[in-house]
Amino acid sequence: MYRIRFHGRGGQGVKTASRILGTALFDAGFEVQDAPRYGAERRGAPIFAYVRADKKTICERGIILRPDLVAVADDSLVAMPAAGVLQGIDDHTVLLISSATGAETWRERLNLNCTIIVIPAGESDADRSAQPYLGTICAAAAAMMTGLIPQEGLIAAIKEELAGMATETIEKNIHNAIKSYESMAEHKGIISEGEELSFSSYAPPSWVDMPFEAARISSPTIHAGATSVLVKTGLWRTMRPIIDPEQCKRCWWICSSFCPDGIINVSEEGEPQIDYDHCKGCLVCLSQCPSHAITAIAESVAGSVTKSKPNESKP
Amino acid sequence: MKRILLTGNGAAAWGARLACADYVPAFPITPQTEIIETLADWIDNGEMPGRLVTLDSEHSMITAAGAAAATGVRVFSATSSQGLLYGMEMLYTVAGWRAPFVLVNVSRGLASPITLEPDHNDILAARDCGFLQIHCATCQEVLDSVLIAYRLSEASSVRLPVIVNLDGFYLSFTREPVQIPDLKAAAAFVGAFDAEDIRFRASAPTSQAMAVLGGSPYSYFRYETHLAALQALDAYETIASEFEEKFGRNHPAVETYRCDDAEMLFFMIGCFATKAKVAVDRLREAGWKIGLVRPRLIRPYPAEAIRTILRGKHGVAVIDQNLSMGFGGVLHSELASALYGQPDMPHILASFIGGLGGRDISTEEFFEIATTLKRAIVSGETPAPRLLYTEDELKQIEKLQLIAHVERTGGERE
Amino acid sequence: MSDQRFRHLKDIPSTHIFGSGTPACAGCGGLEVIHQLYEVLGEKTVFINAAGCMTLLSIYPFTPFRGSWLYTAMASAPAGAQGVRDALDILLEQGRIEPSENLTTVVLTGDGSAYGMGLSATSGAIERGLDFIYLCYDNEGYGNTGQQYSEATPHGAKTSTSTGPRGYPGYKKSIFDIWIAGHPAYAATVIGAEPLDLARKIDKAMQFKGPKMITALSPCPTGWGFDPKESVEIGELAVKTGVWPLKEYVDGKVIHTKVPRKRLPVEEYLKRQGRFAHLFNPSRHESTLNEIQQRIDRYWEQVE
Repeated sequence: MYRIRFHGRGGQGVKTASRILGTALFDAGFEVQDAPRYGAERRGAPIFAYVRADKKTICERGIILRPDLVAVADDSLVAMPAAGVLQGIDDHTVLLISSATGAETWRERLNLNCTIIVIPAGESDADRSAQPYLGTICAAAAAMMTGLIPQEGLIAAIKEELAGMATETIEKNIHNAIKSYESMAEHKGIISEGEELSFSSYAPPSWVDMPFEAARISSPTIHAGATSVLVKTGLWRTMRPIIDPEQCKRCWWICSSFCPDGIINVSEEGEPQIDYDHCKGCLVCLSQCPSHAITAIAESVAGSVTKSKPNESKP
Repeated sequence: MKRILLTGNGAAAWGARLACADYVPAFPITPQTEIIETLADWIDNGEMPGRLVTLDSEHSMITAAGAAAATGVRVFSATSSQGLLYGMEMLYTVAGWRAPFVLVNVSRGLASPITLEPDHNDILAARDCGFLQIHCATCQEVLDSVLIAYRLSEASSVRLPVIVNLDGFYLSFTREPVQIPDLKAAAAFVGAFDAEDIRFRASAPTSQAMAVLGGSPYSYFRYETHLAALQALDAYETIASEFEEKFGRNHPAVETYRCDDAEMLFFMIGCFATKAKVAVDRLREAGWKIGLVRPRLIRPYPAEAIRTILRGKHGVAVIDQNLSMGFGGVLHSELASALYGQPDMPHILASFIGGLGGRDISTEEFFEIATTLKRAIVSGETPAPRLLYTEDELKQIEKLQLIAHVERTGGERE
Repeated sequence: MSDQRFRHLKDIPSTHIFGSGTPACAGCGGLEVIHQLYEVLGEKTVFINAAGCMTLLSIYPFTPFRGSWLYTAMASAPAGAQGVRDALDILLEQGRIEPSENLTTVVLTGDGSAYGMGLSATSGAIERGLDFIYLCYDNEGYGNTGQQYSEATPHGAKTSTSTGPRGYPGYKKSIFDIWIAGHPAYAATVIGAEPLDLARKIDKAMQFKGPKMITALSPCPTGWGFDPKESVEIGELAVKTGVWPLKEYVDGKVIHTKVPRKRLPVEEYLKRQGRFAHLFNPSRHESTLNEIQQRIDRYWEQVE
């Protein structure tokens, strides 16, 4: 059985990627199972979807724990533990990353023995969560890497899954897909089916006897306020708003009032400061600033421009 | 007949469409909503005749469903979890009306705490209400079961509403290959709805669902409903055979997998049962005589069929994705009551609680369940009920509790 | 819109089609309204009953309805009406029944459901423009369980759950106003003591398509504490004192169909009922009596 997992951010077409690959494999004569993992499907938040394909009926279900291929549409997720990109990767796994960074650098950075392949993504200042074709690009690369899907099968699957979208959008996706598909020609058939878990060598689960704990401990109650500030929603951000202190007119903190997340703090001098640990990058501040003092740059190229401010409000 | 990739929700909607449901009272709830969205889309765009109305709650939705069925049209509806419980009063009520219709429930754990992910406490809370219950393990089964459910519900000997149950996420949002029967063949199989004498017409006044005074008439009407549910056992066999003849797919009241020469068995319902099949295959490769029993019908309870399968086996591991507080697994207790005092029944009936709120059950865990069962068979001692929960999970909870400012006295457990 | 069918009291039917033999209390003001309404509506009706006193109209195998009837639950009778109406429409559209087999859909509910538990289902039915008649018999309390206060109980009334010296502390709300906020096809208040006004309003309601509400103050000998024979008299006093305004909502306007120009003091109504006895004995509770009177006066000042 082939087990393939797609990771990306909400808005990058990860669910569509799993459906395109699923449909293409199904049309190629495979039994298929594909599913997105809902829960955090908000724009910018990490999400994933998965595909299983086999010649036999598929009885396995749920999240893929031992992937043959992990395809990542947004390289900023790789090192984010909450995204779970690296979960279950072993030496036989192929890790495919859409990235401006080369495979060798990734190998050193991640200290992995598995095959790492990069789909070159240029340093771009575009908003990566507004690039739904990233998913299609990954699906197309994966299609070539299975070695099981002819180009026309891929195109047919894209047409089927994007049916209802504007012709232009479909054409653009197909164009990108073909480019990505062809670029992976040297890796055709590189994905191998992982070994099935055998009874003789399984690691028994470390079941525990659930201890009794009184209601004051075991009720689902949070005994404090605003603990949510521990959640770094800044990791969702694909576009970073930057306030130009020269342009800022020290108004009645319009940006701060309108910020849906309330993460623009205004100093006593009237100077607004963005809490990048929690800024989701919605850019409401940018649209509202009357003096146009706020600009946005892609998070992928922002690292060198601004530094994340440490979170000031601890629970 | 075409074969396409379809989610469990999509398969449920196709079932309603192929059964030519006239009326769909609806209310959105995750993870069911895709079903009513799909039907609304078909109806709005003229691809499916029928009428869909969104009510103000599931309580109202089930009232409207029952009332429309009692007026003489074919009704389909769908809900999940809290919605099923919000409508619980009406589940009991409309079942007593003896007006047939089909309700799909997409299983989801119940609050509190709130979750979106599946287990079977919602559907098992409805086990005593008079609705029959068909439990599915694949998307194909969802579609087929809706068709079978209409036949069962409308059978003259039965006349009870039927719930078709599927697991949230693992089926509802998961695409699998599904054969979609031709509309004509499906319509021919399901047939036209005959409301018989339970319907409203100007020329034939009827008063339905009235009160009774005293326990005697009450007992009569209630027990007749129970007998009708029992009639559904035979009716189901007939309908399922006819379905197999027409469509080539076999959906027995109790599915068995590699049971014939098995000495020990997994026993469970729902879509995680397909994962148990994988474990059975691996264990068989290692020489174990093990199989899987999966009841599709839970109401009526196919007790005799289960006893026949279990006769002479050494042990059964019942895996419950539900929890009856202060007692344990519902399937386990029901199975025990069906086997007690019967000849040649397995001596070991081990209880495992797992998969609550969508928690996965891994292949390793199935292996460990089998190992535990075998040990019990050898020793002759039934093991204590076991929650599938690991040390790591407990450590994770402690981390979460730290954030929630839960204070432990001296950091120790009591 | 014509009132032709019911010009004089003599136009009211003298033969009754609503079956006798129900277990309702002797002197029930609600039952009086139901039989008056039924005679105007006729047998080609299906009543959808919410839990309340009238649940027990039909006890197997006895029903007073010559037409059809369905019991639902306390919260969801309008949803039951939705299901029945939609099903009949589907059957008619598909030609599966003759038009002559069609039925008028009527919800029958007490105030406990109408003013409280059933509001959500009612609101939904109004919003969806459901073609039905909604009849509320308002006996100002949970009558079937022994007259506990409901959201329709008047200020100061003693009920099984307001037994203190001041009676019920809340104020009766207006289900009429709640309904007309949803812009129904028609809404009216009626009372069994005014049968001609009632008949005209039912007849008028039948000429509209959409949600139609009839709410009837229903003097309740058992719950209110008066002799059954005084039931109609109490109803008349409710009108003459201005406690129960008779009005209707048509084409977006509210019209009072009977304005008591020389209103009797509300005391005349209150002192006849055991539920208000504590306002007079052992001593008069002037502030409460004044407050009740002032509220009535204020209402009619706005009308006049």
